[in-house]
Amino acid sequence: MLKNKLNVSRRDFLVGTAALSASTLINFQTSAYAKEERPSLASKKAKVVIIGGGYGGVSAAISLRKHNKDVDILLIEKNEFFISCPMSNLYIGDIMEYSKLCYPYNNLTVKHNIKVLHEEVDNVDLDKKVIYTNKSKIEYDFLVLSPGIDYDIKESQKEMLLYYPPAFKPGGEHLYLKKLLSEFEGGDIVMTAPSYPYRCPPAPYERAALVLNYLKRRNLKAKLYFLDENERPIINSEGFMNAYYELYKGYAEYITGATIKDIDYMKKVIKTSNGEFKFDIANIIPPMKASSLIEKIGLLEKGQKWVEVDTFTFETKVPNVFVIGDSARSFLPKSGFGANMQGKAVANIINERLTGKKYKQEELLMVVCYSMVSDKEAVMSETSFRLNLETKTVTPIHREDNTRKEVNVKRYHEWAKGLWREMFG
Amino acid sequence: MDRRTLLKTCSVVAIEMMVNPSLFNKLLAQEKELYKAYQKTMLVKENGQPFSTSDIRPNTALLFFYPYASTPCYLINTGSEIKPAKIKLNIGKEYEFKGGIGKNKSIVAYSAICPHQWAYPNKDFSLINYYPPTEKSQATGKSGIIQCCAHMSVFDINNGGQVLEGPAEYPLAAIELIEENDIIYATGVIGPNQFGEFFDMYKSDLIAQYGNIRKAKEVLDKTIVMEVGKYVKEQIKC
Repeated sequence: MLKNKLNVSRRDFLVGTAALSASTLINFQTSAYAKEERPSLASKKAKVVIIGGGYGGVSAAISLRKHNKDVDILLIEKNEFFISCPMSNLYIGDIMEYSKLCYPYNNLTVKHNIKVLHEEVDNVDLDKKVIYTNKSKIEYDFLVLSPGIDYDIKESQKEMLLYYPPAFKPGGEHLYLKKLLSEFEGGDIVMTAPSYPYRCPPAPYERAALVLNYLKRRNLKAKLYFLDENERPIINSEGFMNAYYELYKGYAEYITGATIKDIDYMKKVIKTSNGEFKFDIANIIPPMKASSLIEKIGLLEKGQKWVEVDTFTFETKVPNVFVIGDSARSFLPKSGFGANMQGKAVANIINERLTGKKYKQEELLMVVCYSMVSDKEAVMSETSFRLNLETKTVTPIHREDNTRKEVNVKRYHEWAKGLWREMFG
Repeated sequence: MDRRTLLKTCSVVAIEMMVNPSLFNKLLAQEKELYKAYQKTMLVKENGQPFSTSDIRPNTALLFFYPYASTPCYLINTGSEIKPAKIKLNIGKEYEFKGGIGKNKSIVAYSAICPHQWAYPNKDFSLINYYPPTEKSQATGKSGIIQCCAHMSVFDINNGGQVLEGPAEYPLAAIELIEENDIIYATGVIGPNQFGEFFDMYKSDLIAQYGNIRKAKEVLDKTIVMEVGKYVKEQIKC
């Protein structure tokens, strides 16, 4: 039995009110389909539901459709349009327009025959294979969860996020942090980075570099205190350190191994194991954990922050329920690119189960990450794991290009455009 | 089929498409073709003279467009024989790569559209480039390859464009070349091509460059083979 069973009265209420909309909205067998000369097959169509329309969920949906023209695919995503977290530091650093990060979900339906439902998932009954959203009740045969992260902070600290948004979730947080920065006329900025794992290993370091670059470009009398709980940048260490000390001398104070003890966001003071820092504005990046939805539906072990999944299949302890992307515990760095690769891998696994055919002996999971260290130069890294599905062995490769270069910026842009092209083009 | 039945069928299809536009995609959706014959196109030099196998030096890549006016390909002379190969796709299908042409059987051509997320050589820059045996990739240490520096896919040009490394799920499509009276012609595309995706994904870019999609999709009798640097301002290698 799974934990967190649904409250019965609430469920009955949902089923009752949702019955009409569910049968009209969620009925995959539309009248046009019913006219096809395969009624018996049509009624047996498997339903794959994907929760979360980020890099993982969208990639899983599209990749599954490429493998399988017949399966019914439904993507549930609460937001009306996609906003990319990758590259959002360029917006915060004032070198990219926000609109470049935004994409509508239309083409999933128009080009790939994937239904997209903009509703919020309340709960999932894993025994009965039923999803309850704020409006509907939806049944599934296969479930892929790609709901991303939540901040791992105390309830009492949540208000702080309104004052100083972490901007590790897309949308309002990015916009508000940018506003704080654009209204900043000088003084002290504090930025914190949590100990790993968190979403996107190079992101705090790229952000620090781009904030510093912004201060320098604006010629502001300012200092950034970058308080890192880690001992050094998690990735591209050399590239970031060189940038901080060579490009931003006088602007940057990089303090490593600094455990955050207390933040008084009203008094604008942060206490760490390495001293006390006052600030005018701050970007507090808190520790993170799997999306709270995962915990709610009973897939998170007590005391764990990330979901245990099978290394080779991303399947949870519940058969045909998969978790991909940042919520999953994986040796792959948590990142949009990694989620894109995991989405493809899980689509392949579901298709193999649907068709009963096995094609792949090998699966490649890979992350390519670029980071701007100034408005004109970037560094990059590449981490890949070749999984032999027969022998169950894993071969890792890690490479870094720590020399900051202008060409890496062009690579970075094409890196992002390629992903967006595949997902929304 | 008499006229009445035909009309009836057409109207049913039309109505269904109005009801469910995705049905249209379903009708169009086909398995990826593993070989497609296109227009027989003569490769020519910039002066319009026919391009012969002796016009490309070993360890060189040149650029031409085939089968459409906007779809770039690399013509490569590796200097040594490229043997035919059987290519196995991870969707359970197989096809034959025909190997090189020319005196040393060392000349091959590949579509320069990356099958991963469709990076291609454009006028400003190219991230997908040829690394001859004399030049190692800094990142992967490999040579005799085509490598895409956006997401680090590496393709084996000596082996039908198979993926050696990186996230690409399909090989590079090979261009079928034939040699007649010392003149090279392109006649088809071997392996899963990316043209459908290319025209779909880059629609607005192609309209901006060619005026309209019809011009970008023009099929050519003759195609000019040029130095990559003549078309592409910056070849970005890694």
